[in-house]
Amino acid sequence: METIWFHVDMDAFYAAIEQLDHPEYRGNPVIVGGLGNRGVVSACSYEARVFGVHSAMPIYKARQLCPQAHYVRPRMERYSQISRKVISILETFSPVVQQISIDEAFLDMSGTERLFGKPRQAAILLKTRVKNETGLVISVGIGASRFIAKMASGYDKPDGLCRVSPGNEIAFVDAVGLKKLWGIGESTLKALARHSITSVPHLRQHSLNHLQQLFGEATGLYLHQVSHGLDPGIHTGVTKSRSISTEMTFPVDVSKRTVLEQNLLGMSHEVMFRTIQEGVLASTVTVKIRFSDFSTISVQTTAEKPFFSAEQVFTLAKSLLASRWQEGQPVRLLGVALHSITAGTPFLQQELFENPYQRKRDLEKVVLNLRSKGRNVQKASLLTPQEEEKSP
Amino acid sequence: MKFACHKNTLLKEIILALDFTSQRNTLSIVSNVLLETHENILYIMATDQKVGFKTQIPVETLEAGSTTVFCDKFLGILRTLPDENIIFEESNDTLLIHPDSNSINFELRTIAAEKYPTLEETANQTYFTIGQKDFFSMVSQTIFAISDDETRYFMNGVYLEHNNDSLIMVATDGRRLSYINRKFSQTIPSFTPVIIPAKFLTLLKKAGTDEGEIELSITDTIMYARFGHQIMYSTLIKGQFPNYRRVIPATQSFTCKISVAEMNEALKRVSLLVENKAKRIYMDIETGLITISSEESEFGQAREKITCDYTGDNYQLAINYTYLVNPLRVIEGEYFNLCFTEPNRAITIKPDPERDYFHIIMPMQKD
Repeated sequence: METIWFHVDMDAFYAAIEQLDHPEYRGNPVIVGGLGNRGVVSACSYEARVFGVHSAMPIYKARQLCPQAHYVRPRMERYSQISRKVISILETFSPVVQQISIDEAFLDMSGTERLFGKPRQAAILLKTRVKNETGLVISVGIGASRFIAKMASGYDKPDGLCRVSPGNEIAFVDAVGLKKLWGIGESTLKALARHSITSVPHLRQHSLNHLQQLFGEATGLYLHQVSHGLDPGIHTGVTKSRSISTEMTFPVDVSKRTVLEQNLLGMSHEVMFRTIQEGVLASTVTVKIRFSDFSTISVQTTAEKPFFSAEQVFTLAKSLLASRWQEGQPVRLLGVALHSITAGTPFLQQELFENPYQRKRDLEKVVLNLRSKGRNVQKASLLTPQEEEKSP
Repeated sequence: MKFACHKNTLLKEIILALDFTSQRNTLSIVSNVLLETHENILYIMATDQKVGFKTQIPVETLEAGSTTVFCDKFLGILRTLPDENIIFEESNDTLLIHPDSNSINFELRTIAAEKYPTLEETANQTYFTIGQKDFFSMVSQTIFAISDDETRYFMNGVYLEHNNDSLIMVATDGRRLSYINRKFSQTIPSFTPVIIPAKFLTLLKKAGTDEGEIELSITDTIMYARFGHQIMYSTLIKGQFPNYRRVIPATQSFTCKISVAEMNEALKRVSLLVENKAKRIYMDIETGLITISSEESEFGQAREKITCDYTGDNYQLAINYTYLVNPLRVIEGEYFNLCFTEPNRAITIKPDPERDYFHIIMPMQKD
C-alpha cells in the first residue's frame, strides 16, 4: 500500500480568524501580536505581508512598515476553539491525525483512496469542507513522508495544494531550494556556505561519510537524508534530543538579583514538575540570559546523576546565573531548560547516604498531585508582595 | 639577581613547582615560579593561591635578588639544557640562561617578585611526623572512591580524622566508601577533621618516595606537608563530610571468601560485555560457587563461575563492577571477603585476613 501523508497548514491562522470575526478587517492588513514596545508579530494577514511584515518581527518595526494595519492582541482561546473545529473535520478523513501545533497537522491518508478518491481529490474535498464549515482557507501538502508533505504544503501558500508524487522527491527538494528545506536554518546555511555548498544538488554530491566528517554525525546524517528527499524523522514522536524548557521576556529589563532569582525559582519548578509529570529524568540544566542589547548567552551544567528536585535545579540555575551575570546588569529575557532527558528507571544505583533532595522530590510530587486536583499550592517565595499583603 | 648551579639540582625542584602554579590558559603572575637567592641559597616558591610550594637548594649566589619567570617554559628550557653548571642572570625584566661552557642563550621574560602573591606562612607551624609508607598507603586505599561531581564538592576530597593513636581516612562518592584506620606508635596531636582535595594528595604522592618520613601540619583551613626542605600546602575543602559511621554495617550475615586474582580475571572478561552506562554485573552466590555475569545486551552476554568459600542460601547481588575493580586493585594478600546481609543492602569488601581497611559498596537495583 502506498504511504500517503497530508500536511495541513491553516493560512495566516490568527489573522484569518480575526478577519472572520470582524468583517471590517477583511481585505485589509491585520497584524496579531503583543502591542507593547516589546511585542512581536504572532501572525499577519497576507495583505500585511505585502508590506514586508512577517511573524516574529518586532511590533514597532511592523508599525513602521504598515501603519495602516489593524493591530490586535491575540485571543488564544478563540483560536484554540477554531483549531479544534478544524481538527475535528480532519478526523473525519483519517484515523491518524497528528496535530503538531495550533494551526498544523499531519494526516495519514494511506489506503483511503476508495473513500475519498485519489489524493488530490481528497485534498480538494478537505479544503472545501474546512472552508464551508469554518470559513478558513488551508493549504495541503501531499507526499510519501511527513517531511515531503510538510514542505509541499508551504510550496504554494496560501490556499495551496501541492502533491509530490512518489519518485519525484529529489526533483522536489531541488525546487524547494536549500534555504527553505525543513530544518535548515541560518546557521546551518552559513556552515554549508563555508564548505561552498549553496544548493541542494551540491549537497547531494557529498557522501554521507564526508558530511558527517564536516558537520558531525547527527547533522551529517540529517543533511544527507534531506538532500535525497528522505524523511529525517520529523514529528515521528521519538525525538532524539529533547529538552523541557521555559523562558520569559520581562515587560521591562530586570537588573535586581532577587527578582531574577525569584523567576529562576518559578521556572525551575515549572520544568522540574513537567519532568515528574512525564515520568522522565534530566541531568543537565541550562540557563539562558538575554541582555538589554539582545546579546544572548546560555550556560549549562550536568550533574553526575539525574536531578531529584526543583530545589536542586534552582540551586544550580542560581549559580549558573551568577557565573555570567553581574550585579545590576539589565536582563531582558531569562530561561531555564532541562536536557539529557532519559526515560525509565531512575535510581538504579542505590545510595549510601540519604539524598538531601529525596524528601524535596517527594514533597514536590505531593504538591503536583494537589495541583492536579485543582488546589492552588504555591511556594511562598513565588508570591508577589501584593498577594502577600492581601492574605490574612 | 645572578646565581650559578647545576642543571639537575634545579630541574628536580622545578618539576615539582610546576604543579603548584596555575595551569589555566590565561597567563598571569601565578603561572610563574618565584626565584630568590642570597647567601648561596636559592629559594623556589610557587602558588596558584590554593596550593603552594616552597623549597631551597644550594647554589652559588653571584648577586642577591629575586624574580619570577613563567614556570612552564622555564622547565622546558631546563629539560633541554646540557647536564652541567648553568648561569642565571636577571637584568631589565629578562632572565638570561646560559650554560657555563656553551653558546646556548635563553632570554626569558620576567615579572618582578614584588608582584608575586604572598605564600602562606609555613615556618611557625607545628608538624608531626609519620612514615611516608603508611601515609601513602592510606591515600591509595581511599583516593579512588572520591566523587568528581562538582555539585557534591565536599566529596571531592579525602576525609582525614584524628582518632586517639590512629588516623582515619575516608573517601566516598555517595554510593561506595573506602575506609582505613591506621595506628601509629608515636603521638599525633589532635586536630579537627578535614577534607583534603584529591589533587593535593596526588601532588604529595608525586613528591614522596614512599620511604622515609613526611611531616604534616593541619589547621582548620590549610594542610601543610614537609619533605626535608620541601614544603607544600593546600587549602582544604570547606563543607560537611557525610556521617560515614552511620553507613558502616556493624555486622553482616554472610561472608564469601574469594581469590583476589581469580575475581580480577573474571571481572576483566565479564566486563567486556557489560552495558557501559550502568556498568551493572550480577553475582550469583551459592555454596562454594559464585557466578559473575553481564546482562544480556545487543552484543551478547558473558558468564563466568569461580570457586569461593561460602555456605548459606543462594543470593543474587547486582553491582557496578568498577566499584569492585577499584578496591581489588589495592587490596593486599591473596584472598578477600565479600560480606553482605541482603541483596539491597551495603556490601563490604575486605582483605582476608583482615587489615585496617575495608570498602563498602551499595548494590544496584535489579530489574
